[in-house]
Amino acid sequence: MATIKHDQMVKDYWNSYQSRAWINLIIWSLGISFVVMVILFLSAIIKFDLIALGVSFLILAVVFLSLKLLVFEILLVPLHQLADALTHVSDEPNAVEPPHPNSKHARANGLAPLLELIYKLGANYDPGVKQSAKQSEVEKGLHHSRSSVVICSENGEVTFASHAAPIMTDPKGRIRLKLQFSDSDSLEKWASQVSADDVRAEKNWHRIASDPVGVEDRRIFDIAASYEKGSEAPFVIMLIDQTDSYQPEDDQLDFIAFAAHELRGPVTVIRGYLDVLLQELDGNLSNDHRQLFDRLAVSANRLSGYIANILNASRYDQRHMRIQLVELSVGSVYGLIKDDMELRASIQNRLLAVDIADNLPTVAADASTLSEVLSNLIDNALKYSHDGGTVTVKATASDQFVQVDIIDQGIGMPPSVVANLFHKFYRSHRSRETVSGSGIGLYISKAIIESCGGTIDVRSKEGIGTTISFTLPTYSSVADKLVESNHSNQEILLTNRGGWIQNHNKYRG
Amino acid sequence: MKIQSILFVEDDRYIGEMYVRSLRKAGYDVDWMVDGADGLVAARNKSYDLIMLDIMLPEMRGSDILKALRGKEDLVPNTRIIVLTNFDQDDESRLAMEHDVDAYLIKAEITPRKLIEMIGELDKLPPRK
Repeated sequence: MATIKHDQMVKDYWNSYQSRAWINLIIWSLGISFVVMVILFLSAIIKFDLIALGVSFLILAVVFLSLKLLVFEILLVPLHQLADALTHVSDEPNAVEPPHPNSKHARANGLAPLLELIYKLGANYDPGVKQSAKQSEVEKGLHHSRSSVVICSENGEVTFASHAAPIMTDPKGRIRLKLQFSDSDSLEKWASQVSADDVRAEKNWHRIASDPVGVEDRRIFDIAASYEKGSEAPFVIMLIDQTDSYQPEDDQLDFIAFAAHELRGPVTVIRGYLDVLLQELDGNLSNDHRQLFDRLAVSANRLSGYIANILNASRYDQRHMRIQLVELSVGSVYGLIKDDMELRASIQNRLLAVDIADNLPTVAADASTLSEVLSNLIDNALKYSHDGGTVTVKATASDQFVQVDIIDQGIGMPPSVVANLFHKFYRSHRSRETVSGSGIGLYISKAIIESCGGTIDVRSKEGIGTTISFTLPTYSSVADKLVESNHSNQEILLTNRGGWIQNHNKYRG
Repeated sequence: MKIQSILFVEDDRYIGEMYVRSLRKAGYDVDWMVDGADGLVAARNKSYDLIMLDIMLPEMRGSDILKALRGKEDLVPNTRIIVLTNFDQDDESRLAMEHDVDAYLIKAEITPRKLIEMIGELDKLPPRK
């Protein structure tokens, strides 16, 4: 493409012009003085006398120079101001003090409207003709890429989207991004928060799909969003298409979920008969044999937990996981897994110290999935503790939440591992080598806690230990949000799409 | 009313034997049916305190037995019903069943001892009607 070469900078124009103008002024003044002097000599007004000629020439030169200087100043001051204004709005680095349209000079010489026009055009036309051409090239390039850029207005409406962007038209005819965020951590939620609270903000999301599992042409993105208040493009969202990296793992999860479902039958029989055998042989078993049975029971229970994690993760990805919010106590939920957790601690030679007071406020949660979260977190703490180490489970109440901390003094994790801990299938290099697991337990635990309206976070120091904490809203703080049920025993079902649905009395095993 | 008599409808021999054995040892009076049609006949002919239903059954599905017992008319108003299954139902079917039962349990997630504890909890609840 042809380009126009500019050797001279805008900011250099005034100095260069001023130098040329001075030289011209002096040459022309001297020239005119000489011509006038010659005319005066030829017309015999002055006689040939070197001194007289010299003095006449000097007087004439000074007179002409003074007159031209006066004209020069009158003409050049506005030109100087226009040049400074143009230099200021150019994209060149400069230290020029821009002339103010409301200054005395600008008002006196009528330059104010011209300066205002220059500043207005400069503001609207930046970054200039040359960069517009580049912008157009960037746009063309974006339209060819599988990854995409989307720009949204303050109210969330899409104002620009490159061709590959996952967009849809909502029922009101507005163009929206088509992405399957979780309700608790969505782009929309972040956008409304930062547009209310921040001037600038940035956030990244990983593994966000355009459609639920099973939909044709489903794509999976890593997303980086930035916000700048008052900008012409307040929200800029970059979507990196990672389908090729993530899709095989999702397909694998579908297959694993299918296999996990088939494993439920044998696991039922193994766990059940172990339970029956232990009850019937109790009293006749040596300590040694009892320990072997315990190891079998723990392994079977872990297998049952993995199956539940895989099936729930698969349901969660397909937006089919259901969380029933009912009034229950953290202590009663721990009671469901207490025997199993104590057994797991005992066969791994760990101590389990549980401090959950009976008088804690009740929480809004689902017994089955909350017990799954507790099992996952306690099991992790036990696995990554040292021989003879203690795992502490502590529940405390704050304003509208109950917080549960699972604390170990185990091997801990570096920040690089902590940052990825809740990602699906993530397992650190070290844990792959030393500890069994699927890389799904923390992913589904986070999904469950956030679906209940709680939060989960981790603090860890390598070689010191790890504390994983989660909060759940107290039942009283959310009870008024729950829809009244016509049935005598009220329960509320919350889908992870965020809708409240009435449900009926039941127990979960 | 304390639960004493139990109808157990389960087609898997190992699972059926396991639960029947545990429940009988715990002192319950248990009848075991291995297909859905026989299960429905037994439920209609005898008044049980508790019926435990699998969903995937030969001859008649557990969901159909439930409809027959508690569809238009509640034929077993004084009986508690527990669904005990490993079958992954769609949400609508599951919700519909949960509406008519006292508990919906996943077999792989409980053990005979847990089930017996749960039956003990049902005993503490007020009568259904």
